[in-house]
Amino acid sequence: MSTRPEYTPIDAASRWPLLLLLVKGIGWLVVAGILSLTASIQLHTPGFLSGCPLFTYGRTAAMAETAFVYGWLGNAGLALALWTLGRLAGEPLRAQSWALGGAVFWNLAVFGAVVGIAVGDATGFELLGLPRYVHLLMFFSYASVAVSGLLAWSGRLRQVSYASQWYAAAALFLFPWILSIAHVMLFTAPVRGVLQPIVAGWYAQSAWTLWLAPLALGAAYYVVPRVTGRVLPSYEFAALGFWCLIFVGGLTGGRHLLGGPVPAWIPSLAVVSCALLLFHTFIVLLNLRGAFTGSGTALKFISFGLAAYVLGALADALTSLHGVALHTQFTYFDEAQKQLALYGAASTLLIGAIYFALPRITGKAWFSAGLVRAHLVLTVVGILLLLVSLLGAHAVQSQGLLDAAVPFADIVRDSRPWLLAASFAQMILLFGSIAFLANFYTTACEILLVSEPAVFQAPAAQETHAA
Amino acid sequence: MKSNAVFFIGLFAALALSWAGIVLGSNAQLGALAPFYDETDATAYPQWMPGAAARGQLVYRDLGCYACHTQQVRRPGFGSDQARGWGDRQSVARDYIYQPAPQLGWSRVGPDLANLGDRKPSAPDAEDLLHLLYAGSDGMPPYRFLFERRHIGTGAQPSLDALKLTGTLEPPAGWEVVPSARAESLVAYLLSLRTTYTYPEAVPFSPPKAQAPASVGGAK
Amino acid sequence: MSTPANRDPRVDQAALSDQDLVDLHEKQLGRHPDDGARYRLLPIGILFTLSALILFSGTYLNRYTGHYSASIFDENAKPTTGAPVAVKLDPVAVGRKAYGEVCITCHQPTGTGVVGVYPPLAGSEWVNGPSSRVVRIVLYGLKGDIHVEGHVFNAAAMPVFGKVANSAYNWNDAKIAAVLTYVRQEWGNKAAEVSADEVTAVRTATGDRKEMSEAELEQVK
Repeated sequence: MSTRPEYTPIDAASRWPLLLLLVKGIGWLVVAGILSLTASIQLHTPGFLSGCPLFTYGRTAAMAETAFVYGWLGNAGLALALWTLGRLAGEPLRAQSWALGGAVFWNLAVFGAVVGIAVGDATGFELLGLPRYVHLLMFFSYASVAVSGLLAWSGRLRQVSYASQWYAAAALFLFPWILSIAHVMLFTAPVRGVLQPIVAGWYAQSAWTLWLAPLALGAAYYVVPRVTGRVLPSYEFAALGFWCLIFVGGLTGGRHLLGGPVPAWIPSLAVVSCALLLFHTFIVLLNLRGAFTGSGTALKFISFGLAAYVLGALADALTSLHGVALHTQFTYFDEAQKQLALYGAASTLLIGAIYFALPRITGKAWFSAGLVRAHLVLTVVGILLLLVSLLGAHAVQSQGLLDAAVPFADIVRDSRPWLLAASFAQMILLFGSIAFLANFYTTACEILLVSEPAVFQAPAAQETHAA
Repeated sequence: MKSNAVFFIGLFAALALSWAGIVLGSNAQLGALAPFYDETDATAYPQWMPGAAARGQLVYRDLGCYACHTQQVRRPGFGSDQARGWGDRQSVARDYIYQPAPQLGWSRVGPDLANLGDRKPSAPDAEDLLHLLYAGSDGMPPYRFLFERRHIGTGAQPSLDALKLTGTLEPPAGWEVVPSARAESLVAYLLSLRTTYTYPEAVPFSPPKAQAPASVGGAK
Repeated sequence: MSTPANRDPRVDQAALSDQDLVDLHEKQLGRHPDDGARYRLLPIGILFTLSALILFSGTYLNRYTGHYSASIFDENAKPTTGAPVAVKLDPVAVGRKAYGEVCITCHQPTGTGVVGVYPPLAGSEWVNGPSSRVVRIVLYGLKGDIHVEGHVFNAAAMPVFGKVANSAYNWNDAKIAAVLTYVRQEWGNKAAEVSADEVTAVRTATGDRKEMSEAELEQVK
């Protein structure tokens, strides 16, 4: 059985689109961190920047979300999808100029979206704050990047495929469809009344379950067995877990409309779908549980992300039930859940995979071990503190909202200490992102300089273990 | 998974399933939802928003007010919406059919606004809302950029629509603060929000045992 | 098989090459769980979990979707079967609303009317008299002198409200009945309520005609 050297001609040939996507992604992570911190401060100090129409709370929050989801998760997820698909295909990435051009225009679109929201063109939908005029550019630039990845999937050297490839190919294939459907039904030929929130809810849940989660899981499925060197336990169920996510994911669309002005079957369907997704989560946990016992930077991030993913799915299933939603709906709990999914799960899974990937893409080890450790500590502490403080604020708000005798001023006053802690957590996360960016940038720049290549140990042959 | 065709058809089928189920399904049910014609009032409900209010809805969206306010009252018994005077009944799909951009929202950092124009026990009037927008409150930022502070000369009579400000907010002599057109339309929108008419489908469901005679179709 | 120690946080070593990754997992798929009579508990457990979730889903959907009706907003409710129950209106509430929108301009909020111009309704012998007369007044309007509580009024005509020719308002019979019921039971008036059927009967029997006069009304029993 052959072993391929870790720094391969495959990676050397496809490094430029990947590095471009990654550096843009991490740059957006820092931008999103600054915007999230601003929005977080505005929650406990409403007067902050209130004189500037570009930064009302509604706008900073939408900008932070857009920069985070489309800037950071979109870029990083695309880069890792291309990388894993290319590697598993066993040949250099094809249509690289498409990927490169797509990456440039995708980032222009995200930039346009953030500026557009600042000047008041947000659409007002969750996860789809993007002004309508960037949708077309996003559609084509994403499709252009995806071409490269899908060619790597369909042109793979052997017929057999691996779980990472399914997740990555699904994310590449499905997102343009979801975006175009939402665009047509909300803007080109807008549907009436409450159908708009229904379409937007379907888009938001589909973007999470059919785009962001598959991107992150594809990366994790690739890194975990490569680092641990073990075949994934219960791998024969991985396909079932995959199709469970793909088929049930979009049906969770009515999750946030519970008790709202939509026919009861829409949220009820979401309740059931969230419960069925637990099956998918269960399989993912079974498959990837090796991450918890492995060593190395990548697996530390990935095990944290995996725990967050499982916890997030449990929270989704529980809070979709009416009895629980009575306490969690419209409160900071929603925000905590969103942070748990987007930062705790998707981001840390991708970050872990980036720590594994970059030395292989550049042929260089990460520049600074200290910055790697700092990023890990700041991320874990930041996310935990953010969750705890948002849950604290939720407890105050939920009790207050349920008791009609409590005026809003009291809720604001009592939740302020918790929101201050949340801002502190956002600051910690921002410092972590800056450390990440600095380390990444220095490492990537090293390609241009003459320096010592990373030392990889050749993986051992596996026949003995497979038996 | 070995076959590309089967794989992509599977992905597409999954997407089509959720799209057809949720999006097209609800569209088939509610896409042609008609206003409710009340025989006794000889009027159809809901009624169109005035033009200024429709413009105000866009201001509401562009400033991002939806990030902190919902516009959906939940049914009696589910939360304290009725006890807080936000509306006597739950919001239903028919309430929104004439709204160009319904703003259901997802967060209650601030109160619900679905029925602000008829809030119990007392609804705010335009003056209250303009003052709140200019001055802000504990939990709400001020939106001073929606107002114009202008020089009128000492001893001159202030405009009719000038804000009556006191204390630290009071402009110096010879100056006045007037709302901009955007502030005016935002307030017109907020005051137009009312869900006073009770549609048959909005009558709270009560379990069959204790069913009281339903009284519907009446506006208060 | 030992995994690499990965002591350097700057580079994670791989213990499995790309090719092995694909091959070994593909081989894993080819094996049957119960190969060689080795009975494994986990697959059974996974299938059991899936079945349990599907059972829950089916039950929940059956119970809490209001039969997928578009007009059910409370997940506990069920659409009623058969003919819809007739909606019962409170005539006094409907009448108060109609009065407040139109009649109030002349007859005033307290039903006192305006001396010399608009006759009072509170305590009026016409309002408290036979319902057949007031029904005609509202349906067809009234012109000329009318004596109420010892005063003569003739300065203004009562407009035509019914669904008849030359009507100014086109109110339907139910609305006329409701407003009359309200007027006859408000401000100390204690006359019987007026039914929509009675208004309909008068309107169909009489057909279109010009405004009523006091003399004609006195003919009506």
